[in-house]
Amino acid sequence: MDQRILEFIGDLRRAEIRISPSEALDALAASAEVGLRDRETFKTALATTLIKEFRDLPTFDRLFDLYFLDLQALGEGLKKALGPEDPRIRDLLDRLMAEEGIEIDPLTELLLWGQGTEMELAIRRGGEHVGLERLMYFLQIGYFSRRIHDRFDWEAIERDLARLMQLLEARGLDPGRLARIRNYLDLRLEAFRRLIRQHVERELERRAFRQGEKLTREVLTDKPLFALTAEEVAQMKAVVARLARKIKDALALRQRQEEKGRLDSRRTVRKSLQYGGIPMELRFRRRHRDKPKLITICDVSDSVRNASRFMLQLVWSLQECFSRVRSYVFVSEIAEVTQAFNTYPVDKAIEWALRAAPVDYHCRSDFGYAFSRFCRTELESLDRKTTILVLGDARNNYNDPQAWAVTHMRERVKGIIWLNPEGQWGWGIGDSVMPLYAPHCDVVRECRTIGQLAQVVDNLVHHWWRRGR
Amino acid sequence: MFQSVEEVQQRFRQARYIASRRLSTVVYLAERMARPVLIEGPAGVGKTEMAKVLAEATRRRLIRLQCYEGLDEGKALYEWKYAKQLLYTQLLKERIGELIEDTHSLPEAVAKIAGQDDAFFSFRFLSPRPLLQAIQADDEVVLLVDEIDKAEPEFEAFLLEVLSDFQVSVPELGTITAKHIPLVVLTSNNARELSDGLKRRCLHLFIDFPPPKDELEIIRLKVPEIPERLAQAVVTAVHRIRALELRKPPSVSESLDWARSLVILNAQQLDPTLVEATLTMLVKYEKDLERVKGALDKVLADLN
Ligand SMILES: Nc1ncnc2c1ncn2[C@@H]1O[C@H](COP(=O)(O)OP(=O)(O)O)[C@@H](O)[C@H]1O
Ligand SMILES: [Mg+2]
Repeated sequence: MDQRILEFIGDLRRAEIRISPSEALDALAASAEVGLRDRETFKTALATTLIKEFRDLPTFDRLFDLYFLDLQALGEGLKKALGPEDPRIRDLLDRLMAEEGIEIDPLTELLLWGQGTEMELAIRRGGEHVGLERLMYFLQIGYFSRRIHDRFDWEAIERDLARLMQLLEARGLDPGRLARIRNYLDLRLEAFRRLIRQHVERELERRAFRQGEKLTREVLTDKPLFALTAEEVAQMKAVVARLARKIKDALALRQRQEEKGRLDSRRTVRKSLQYGGIPMELRFRRRHRDKPKLITICDVSDSVRNASRFMLQLVWSLQECFSRVRSYVFVSEIAEVTQAFNTYPVDKAIEWALRAAPVDYHCRSDFGYAFSRFCRTELESLDRKTTILVLGDARNNYNDPQAWAVTHMRERVKGIIWLNPEGQWGWGIGDSVMPLYAPHCDVVRECRTIGQLAQVVDNLVHHWWRRGR
Repeated sequence: MFQSVEEVQQRFRQARYIASRRLSTVVYLAERMARPVLIEGPAGVGKTEMAKVLAEATRRRLIRLQCYEGLDEGKALYEWKYAKQLLYTQLLKERIGELIEDTHSLPEAVAKIAGQDDAFFSFRFLSPRPLLQAIQADDEVVLLVDEIDKAEPEFEAFLLEVLSDFQVSVPELGTITAKHIPLVVLTSNNARELSDGLKRRCLHLFIDFPPPKDELEIIRLKVPEIPERLAQAVVTAVHRIRALELRKPPSVSESLDWARSLVILNAQQLDPTLVEATLTMLVKYEKDLERVKGALDKVLADLN
């Protein structure tokens, strides 16, 4: 069983669940403690030692079923899977072989006395050299089952069985009993063949699973955001949430470290006067560094909606790291959506911002107009602690770019960071006015995929907000 | 030592705790493998209680370390009784004077005093905090590290060290090793993600809101005077309210509070006015309250 558990762990790892060697050993130890008697208990023993993140549980559950679906059959319920296993017949055969001193093929022995687990192991070994790694389609199951099947010496088994039957006959067993024994042996043979096929079927499912996992995780993070389907968007939400969490922890940790106080000698001495000049109580200085402020301005027109969605999700999750977060969305008209972000849960807030904010979602993007409106109403509230994060492709539909507005904004804030969900090769081509805005921005980055978005935000958190500004 | 998973379940029940099969299995393994258990889950689902009950069921003493922001090694492990040390030096001023009487230079005097370190850095002046208490204990204990997510990540790293070898070194006193490995339970409300190292070391258990069947059992157990029909109605209503996606859905502790107040009000069934009047026992945020009030028809449908 250990071998099986290790393979299972291998697949968990392939599904990007991190499992350390010590955890793998724990899983083996835990499963040995509880045994295989009860499937749920066994499952808990593996889960509690291997799975430490809530989000990994569904993957664990699915894989567990692929690996240990037949656990019952392998353990106690063995009899059912192997057909009627008549103990009297076994006894009879046992005695016969002892008395006659017959040598039989190990495989026959396995067939006669083996437990499901041992059969399973034999099949697994049989499958090692038949090229199972090429198994990819449902239609190949028959072929590979036959190949594994052919690795066993069935003739030897038949010979052994025939010899046993002859001996029994020679001992004068009545025909009825003989027929029952033959039938029993046939059933065991049949069960063994069935196990082979099951093994191949499960192998195929496992492969499909591995492929699926790999595809979703690897391909999606590199797929252009605009091309994600609704279902893929849903999948990526979890990935982004995970990312946000990581960034937040890093940032929070640093903010706390920076705040850590040093001994405040003046206050310590003053306090010590109470105790006749002895510094009984130490005083520490708490450095108060204000958290930065953040304003996000997101283009929510159709072409970049997914990018905005994920950025809003990130910003929403990082709110606590800033003393103040204000969010705006625009297509042409611009509207503040901070309020929605403070009231609704994240999903709802984002859906609201992408569909129901007071802007016209169906007009053509006009960055210039949006920025000029922003300047007119919000300029006064900007200060040097504020960073402005703009997300948009800067495709201005040949409207007036009004770059002066960005200049004004820049003069009042700590910096402007622009994330562009369009490939850099397109900037400045056609109606893209990125090159006109870029000189007023402190950072301009391409942000076409989740992978890139992750990297950019991570960088910002670690460098931009670090420089004590 | 528990002999089986079933025994865990039974003994917990005797200690008035409804343990799921999963929880019982993890507890069983924790004792067998001498591993800490890390319990994560929303507030009020019985994480802290589980540690207390574990102590009761295994007849061990419970030592609790409540974590909070700013908790440091000193407050968790030991502190020198600084004030007491100072007081002693004051009271012993003359003795110290005598001690350095025949010295001729400052360095010589300092050296002389340093030679007396032992007198001031001894167990007499050491005040052990929960972690050291657990390690020093002569009897077997359950160590509860409650709400570890509230402490700083650095503290976690330190805790991990302690949990790995159950020994600490006090520079002035040497190394202290645990006589018995304590049974350790850590809890987290998931305010932040914990470090991989700590998670790796622990057996992991997620506790979520219990299934209706278990919650009904909990209510019967903790509010025995509640009429059966009302208990069932409470459970159903609470589960429907949880499905409303509130900012903070009611937890087991809130169901219990609610059940208790309904009993005090002598309620026999859940009528809408009564429910509205007692809803604050269940839901705390203004927005959530409005939400539930708006959906009250659905929440109470077919309950009475
Ligand atoms: N499974 C359970 N069996 C008995 N009581 C429970 C159970 N779960 C929760 N409770 C009760 O709910 C309340 C909250 O439990 P507590 O341990 O404080 O929650 P947490 O530590 O998870 O926030 C306690 O009064 C506890 O007795
Ligand atoms: Mg608690």
